[in-house]
Amino acid sequence: MAVGSRTGPGSECQDPDWATERDPSPRPRARGLTQKTPTTNSGGGSRMNVGTAHSEVNPNTRVMNSRGIWLSYVLAIGLLHVVLLSIPFVSVPVVWTLTNLIHNMGMYIFLHTVKGTPFETPDQGKARLLTHWEQMDYGVQFTASRKFLTITPIVLYFLTSFYTKYDQIHFVLNTVSLMSVLIPKLPQLHGVRIFGINKY
Amino acid sequence: MANPGGGTVCNGKLHNHKKQSNGLQSRNCTKNGIVKEAQQNGKTHFYDKLIVESFEEAPLHVMVFTYMGYGIGTLFGYLRDFLRNWGIEKCNAAVERKEQRDFVPLYQDFENFYTRNLYMRIRDNWNRPICSAPGPLFDVMERVSDDYNWTFRFTGRVIKDVINMGSYNFLGLAAKYDESMRTIKDVLEVYGTGVSSTRHEMGTLDKHKELEDLVAKFLNVEAAMVFGMGFATNSMNIPALVGKGCLILSDELNHTSLVLGARLSGATIRIFKHNNTQSLEKLLRDAVIYGQPRTRRAWKKILILVEGVYSMEGSIVHLPQIIALKKKYKAYLYMDEAHSIGAVGPTGRGVTEFFGLDPHEVDVLMGTFTKSFGAAGGYIAGRKDLVDYLRVHSHSAVYASSMSPPIAEQIIRSLKHLMGLDGTTQGLQRVRQLAKNTRYFRQRLQEMGFIIYGNENASVVPLLLYMPGKVAAFARHMLEKKIGVVVVGFPATPLAEARARFCVSAAHTREMLDTVLEALDEMGDLLQLKYSRHKKSARPELYDETSFELED
Repeated sequence: MAVGSRTGPGSECQDPDWATERDPSPRPRARGLTQKTPTTNSGGGSRMNVGTAHSEVNPNTRVMNSRGIWLSYVLAIGLLHVVLLSIPFVSVPVVWTLTNLIHNMGMYIFLHTVKGTPFETPDQGKARLLTHWEQMDYGVQFTASRKFLTITPIVLYFLTSFYTKYDQIHFVLNTVSLMSVLIPKLPQLHGVRIFGINKY
Repeated sequence: MANPGGGTVCNGKLHNHKKQSNGLQSRNCTKNGIVKEAQQNGKTHFYDKLIVESFEEAPLHVMVFTYMGYGIGTLFGYLRDFLRNWGIEKCNAAVERKEQRDFVPLYQDFENFYTRNLYMRIRDNWNRPICSAPGPLFDVMERVSDDYNWTFRFTGRVIKDVINMGSYNFLGLAAKYDESMRTIKDVLEVYGTGVSSTRHEMGTLDKHKELEDLVAKFLNVEAAMVFGMGFATNSMNIPALVGKGCLILSDELNHTSLVLGARLSGATIRIFKHNNTQSLEKLLRDAVIYGQPRTRRAWKKILILVEGVYSMEGSIVHLPQIIALKKKYKAYLYMDEAHSIGAVGPTGRGVTEFFGLDPHEVDVLMGTFTKSFGAAGGYIAGRKDLVDYLRVHSHSAVYASSMSPPIAEQIIRSLKHLMGLDGTTQGLQRVRQLAKNTRYFRQRLQEMGFIIYGNENASVVPLLLYMPGKVAAFARHMLEKKIGVVVVGFPATPLAEARARFCVSAAHTREMLDTVLEALDEMGDLLQLKYSRHKKSARPELYDETSFELED
């Protein structure tokens, strides 16, 4: 039994009907090489489709590129921090570590654990076995949103290390947490399920 | 090589034998092998038609609140799913039987997350049954829900005379039966409801021929063919026109029927940004230069799929530029005028008339009779050899039953009304009234400060609401004020651009529109929907008075 097992047909970069020029292997590709455009869909989406549906097969892929979502994300981290700061009898270094841990835990759950889409997509479930991180931009690596979501935990880690004054226990906790969030983002781990965890 | 417009090529020079139609004077001059269109009378072609459309962006804080709304909804959705899973809360959705708990599940729970947790909460704003014809006023069944929209209960009361801002009733032809519809009743008695046979076998009746001739005359093209269903017109005929080895360039926001037809055809599909001629040109250049992938052969055909008016955005296609591109790169153009035929243009002939272009320049003109003619079905019109080809090869002609004769009679009646062949000018008046209503409605909404999308002449008016909570509140409040609106949200629209879509009709009187506008004004202030940052003019608008009087 292999340690790192790839998932089934959905593991490669979602290959739209168009791009036969694309290399179908899941190696990381810089975004500028091929202009990826979404494919067409074959029918309506959820029951809420009043009128037309546009040809975006999986709206989940575009969520992180929407206008204002990066700002909302940063504000949400700020809100979390402020809420934790308002708890009495908790010192500032502990609050920062808690912020870091909770943020990384939330990021791990929502980006790297939850699979599929919360709505039915017309592409017959190509993305059902993919986490949100793998769905982003149809699997194209190194896009702007991916870079942003990689850098934010690192920046948070720097801030946390500073405010915890590089204390040993805090350092261990924060580093482990950071690793848990950074490693799944590596392009080499696109579609990889270690020990078969979270495969189906 | 494609010869759009029906010209012949001789020694590299294109000689175009164009028919003079509609008084459009144009002739081709060839110079060094390049065809240039010269206009007589020095009349400029289309450069002076100003396209006024706006897709304003909301301020950033609105987007942040929208995402917050969805985020909180999602978190609560997870909480409720957790409670339902552990039996703390009653589960109203369908669940598997207890014996099947350990089997592999048939459906993924998560795929219905959105439907279960967000859509269900505001479900009462859609699928409302009505009790009358969808004219400018209609009756709506009053329903309440006892278990938070999982089931509905009819209270027994009918809300009468609700102003209808949701139906596609552009010319006001959707109405209760009156004596002018007697011919339809007679046709029903003579022909019955239909033959239930395909066009090839026994389904072609003289009514169809009459209708097709009338449609061709209306659109000023050589021939037309009608089909029983508007959606099926697209999905059955695009596969007959293009196939493998062809290229389809389709607009981003094309309707599902076009997308389905394109997919069924087997052609390669590439998508260009909505109404963006630069994006389309880039794709055309790449297609012509690089040819098919891998083999680099030339594409057999390049077909550009656009719509006349896009109903979700209210935008009108930039037809002159697209026709110019089409001619330059020798592609074909297929235009779906579902929302624009009968509604756009000085006499209702559609987008080609709106821009003052020759309908022969669009290779395939498609449209539906559902929106402006008060009927059902679709048509494809164009050159005679195209339509003859479709008569033989269209999937709909081989497998689908033909249009029902009473419906054909209704369309004939509407077309005659619109063309003035019934002896009155009422049809033309309807088109003019629709244009007036559209401009008035859009102008007033823009003055009030709402964000409206689309071209100023499109009768479909999307009003942006952005936040999911406001979507529900808006629709419910409007129904309380006896105005029926259609609201659309994610995933039918992009994530943060939920909207209410108004369809202005020629049958709406000024008073009805004013009622709606007052209600919208109130709603806008209550729900804080007036996001537009365009500065409003300080000069007063002249609506009803005949002159500006100096007021001290």
